[in-house]
Amino acid sequence: MLFKDQVDFVRQHIKKNKLRVFMTILAATMGCAFLIVLASIGFGIQDTMRKEILQDQAITEVEVYPNENEELNLEEIKSVPYIGAIVQRTSMDVMTSFHLEDRSIQGNLLLTDMQEEEQSNLKLSEGRLPQNESEIVVGYHFAQNLWTDAERAKVVEEEADLPKGYEKSIIGKTVTLSLQPYDSEDAFSEQWEFTVVGVVDIPARDWIIDQSILMDKLWLSKLKGTYEENAEQIPENFTYTTTKIYTDSLEHVKSVTKDLKDMGYNVYSVSEQLEQIDVFFMAFKIGLIFVGTIAVLISSIGIFNTMTMAVTERTREIGVMKAIGASPKLIQRLFLMESAWIGIIGTVLAVIISYAVSYLANWILPMVVGTSLGEDGLQDLSITFSLIPWQLVVLASTISIGVAMISGWRPARKATKIDVIQALRQEL
Amino acid sequence: MIQVQQVNHTFLIGKKGKEKKVPVLKGLSFEVKQGEIVAIVGKSGSGKSTLLHTIAGFMSPEQGSITVNGQETANLNETERAVFRLNNFGFIFQNFQLMPGLTAFENVELPLKLKGISPKKRKESVEQMMDKVGLTEVGDHYPNELSGGQQQRVSIARALITNPPILFADEPTGSLDSETEQDILLLIQNLNQTLGVTFVMITHDEEVASIAHRTFKMRDGELVKGDAL
Ligand SMILES: Nc1ncnc2c1ncn2[C@@H]1O[C@H](COP(=O)(O)OP(=O)(O)OP(=O)(O)O)[C@@H](O)[C@H]1O
Ligand SMILES: [Mg+2]
Repeated sequence: MLFKDQVDFVRQHIKKNKLRVFMTILAATMGCAFLIVLASIGFGIQDTMRKEILQDQAITEVEVYPNENEELNLEEIKSVPYIGAIVQRTSMDVMTSFHLEDRSIQGNLLLTDMQEEEQSNLKLSEGRLPQNESEIVVGYHFAQNLWTDAERAKVVEEEADLPKGYEKSIIGKTVTLSLQPYDSEDAFSEQWEFTVVGVVDIPARDWIIDQSILMDKLWLSKLKGTYEENAEQIPENFTYTTTKIYTDSLEHVKSVTKDLKDMGYNVYSVSEQLEQIDVFFMAFKIGLIFVGTIAVLISSIGIFNTMTMAVTERTREIGVMKAIGASPKLIQRLFLMESAWIGIIGTVLAVIISYAVSYLANWILPMVVGTSLGEDGLQDLSITFSLIPWQLVVLASTISIGVAMISGWRPARKATKIDVIQALRQEL
Repeated sequence: MIQVQQVNHTFLIGKKGKEKKVPVLKGLSFEVKQGEIVAIVGKSGSGKSTLLHTIAGFMSPEQGSITVNGQETANLNETERAVFRLNNFGFIFQNFQLMPGLTAFENVELPLKLKGISPKKRKESVEQMMDKVGLTEVGDHYPNELSGGQQQRVSIARALITNPPILFADEPTGSLDSETEQDILLLIQNLNQTLGVTFVMITHDEEVASIAHRTFKMRDGELVKGDAL
């Protein structure tokens, strides 16, 4: 029998029982759509979390910590392939105040290598990187937290609006640094002057306040020397260094992380975090797909019933077909095609419906959640509640159509077993 | 064309555990030659239909061999049997056994579809056949829109459309009035003479049996009269 004739044959049978087939397709659609939408929640939340993480920090960044009482072997680290820059920022255990006119700030002084900072693609919102040791770069919130003593007192006393700080451009201004040990009342008399030449880019998160100061690492020994001269004794662990490694691109984060781990260091990177999230969500998604598959299985009972009824109803016709020379294989195929057709149409509808539901959920849910929390801000957060990647569509379709064909298999077998003589005896 | 040798068949009837053996075919042997019209007659329950079913391959006899067109049917599996039927047999049933969902035209076309013939060729040969059995006018009628005689002619056309060398008929005129019966009988005779088709038919009817070249009479699963081999 030509394939086209087989399709015609199946279509004719479906037409004869429109309502029944429609209801069966409906059940198959609901089962499959349930599976896709349920699993899409897993994909959606995973996507949201990944985005959050990738937004959180420079994605090519790998943090390295030495083990206790050990030091990083920079030469060794440099030999790792795909490393773009190694940025070491050192802070000191001392209060560092910066003064501009009558304003001051206790900033977080970080001593670093400007060339490495440049290689790591440090982004500035204004100005440029320092070109000599008397130039510095300040954090995004440095200027707005430069307060007068009066302003500071007011903030402590009453819950007034925060002062605006230094409102003119900070670029090109000269600020004065003074040091004061944490256990001392007074600052050292020695002071140093620096010119602000750049402002670091706004932090990725709006709750991060960046009032740091990046200064050439040459100053470390000078400032430390001053401390030693003036204070009775220098604290243990006076300096603290964080080491961040920047890879050439995101793809290499994983290999760099692994290489550094193999060297015995403690490593922290986005890829680490992403991996953990991916592992968790893999399990989560498998769970959701499992539950969804149960819905598909339930709907397959409908297909089984429909096909069994179809075979029973057509017993006489099947008998005639066999009598005039239709092979059992052909009869089995015709019925399998019919159940597959139900599965395919159900799946196609389910995919369309799932995309619509997913789209609506991503549109409406943030609004609902936003109103119930009484915040408008949540709408701006791009939370994906539901995401349907093509892999999910392929997987769900395979499950749904596969289950449809499996449930149609027994009725189709039954059709091939029909006894011609008995079938022909049936009353018209 | 058809050789039947020492065919025995016993049915088990009744409740499980208390089955009774009913011998239905008892050592039947005969031959049907090409181009013959053979009528099988006999009382109800004498085993005529069972005999036909074994020859047609709808069931296998317990014992004995049946050779059709040089092919021992017992040696074929289900699929091969289906193909064999499609190529060698045409069936005319007492109650027509048309597909209710197909028009007269489509019913006649069905065996050609099963053979995988292209739609164009099918249309041509179905139209010719419809003309031959006088159904051109009612081609797009569904079986329930046709008279008994017309339905039987559709069923004859369907049986003949593949040009099978052998035609089986179980009470081909059983549900027709005598005038229509005459029409059908003339048609059968005509086909036999022009195409040389071999006919094996079961009937109660003296008149139907009268067109046969030979008549086999069955009683209790045995042939009692005729030119048995
Ligand atoms: N499937 C079956 N199981 C058990 N017994 C059967 C079966 N089919 C037929 N028989 C028995 O076999 C015998 C012959 O039946 P068969 O149908 O061949 O008779 P027949 O000659 O065609 O009769 P009729 O003229 O009434 O059609 C009957 O006694 C019947 O009861
Ligand atoms: Mg009978």
